Amino acid sequence: MGQVKLAAAPARLNAVLGSCVGVALYHPRARIGALGHVVLPRSGGTGGGPAKFAESAIPYMLAQLEQRGASRTALVARIAGGACMFGTGGPLQIGDQNVAAVLAALKASGVRVVAQDTGGTKGRRVSLDCTNGELTVEIVGCPPRIL
Amino acid sequence: MPNCRPVSHTPLDVLRQLFASATHDASTAMCRWTDGLITLSLDEVREIPLGEVCDELNLSDELLTMVVLHLEGDVGGVMILTFDEENGRQLAAALLGRPVEHDDPWSILEQSALTETGNILGCAYMNALTRLIDRELVPSPPYFLQDYGASVLQQAILAQAMTSDEVLVCRTGFHRQGAELDWRVLFVPTEAMRRAMIEAIRTAR
Repeated sequence: MGQVKLAAAPARLNAVLGSCVGVALYHPRARIGALGHVVLPRSGGTGGGPAKFAESAIPYMLAQLEQRGASRTALVARIAGGACMFGTGGPLQIGDQNVAAVLAALKASGVRVVAQDTGGTKGRRVSLDCTNGELTVEIVGCPPRIL
Repeated sequence: MPNCRPVSHTPLDVLRQLFASATHDASTAMCRWTDGLITLSLDEVREIPLGEVCDELNLSDELLTMVVLHLEGDVGGVMILTFDEENGRQLAAALLGRPVEHDDPWSILEQSALTETGNILGCAYMNALTRLIDRELVPSPPYFLQDYGASVLQQAILAQAMTSDEVLVCRTGFHRQGAELDWRVLFVPTEAMRRAMIEAIRTAR
């Protein structure tokens, strides 16, 4: 949680998501990917590493990828997560806000979102294949979905 | 536990003292509910870095059966009762006086047996907390869910993640006739609850 992982083909990057949002950025030519695990929409002045918040995670991921030679103009994004795990009546329904904040940050950075699987009330297990950029999303009781 | 960091000696000791007392009450209630079969013991009260909390609590992409109960309001928290499939089925079967079912989906009765267990444990913890902090706590109805353990924990620790990069968690284990079971109760207080607990114990001294 609140972390970013980077890898090149043929590695895979994995995460388990509840209300957090998984942001997969992929450079098709360089075959380099990054998977960010965003916890909250914004910091509001509280502490934490850049990957914890949507507003700082996206610029941080772009900088990390650019350092590895993956220019932002060719990057594409796939996102998943942002569930309300405890149903709509539970506390801290922040999944939707996380999704909105991630989408806004990606738009502001000029990164195209090619697929998303967000919302609902179930957790997700995601795996980014750095060979082709596909993001496999698994939800308990459902067949896997490839974004 | 290489990444275990004390909150600071005094508050951590204070919280351990509190949760030990609450766990004792919960154990008594559980023992009664299971006809003397099951008891509880406090495993740990720890503050864990946010990025490591799922690994440290052994909650990853494993599919778990859980009962979740909230203490609502600012001074609140989340209690999660976790089982693997086998152990959850065994408890439900023992409570219902039936043989263990392995293949069928969980019946309403089995789910009800587990949620009632969550209710009994949650009430025991809540009563102990209420006595300590002298505030009314409002529990949600417990509910049954099956999902990845890490995804549920994420939502439970959000309230703390908003103000801190470390998460305070109380973990309780279960025992059947002295043997440890693969069941856990996790209690994640909100920041306001944590402050209220520490303040209440300091005042009482």
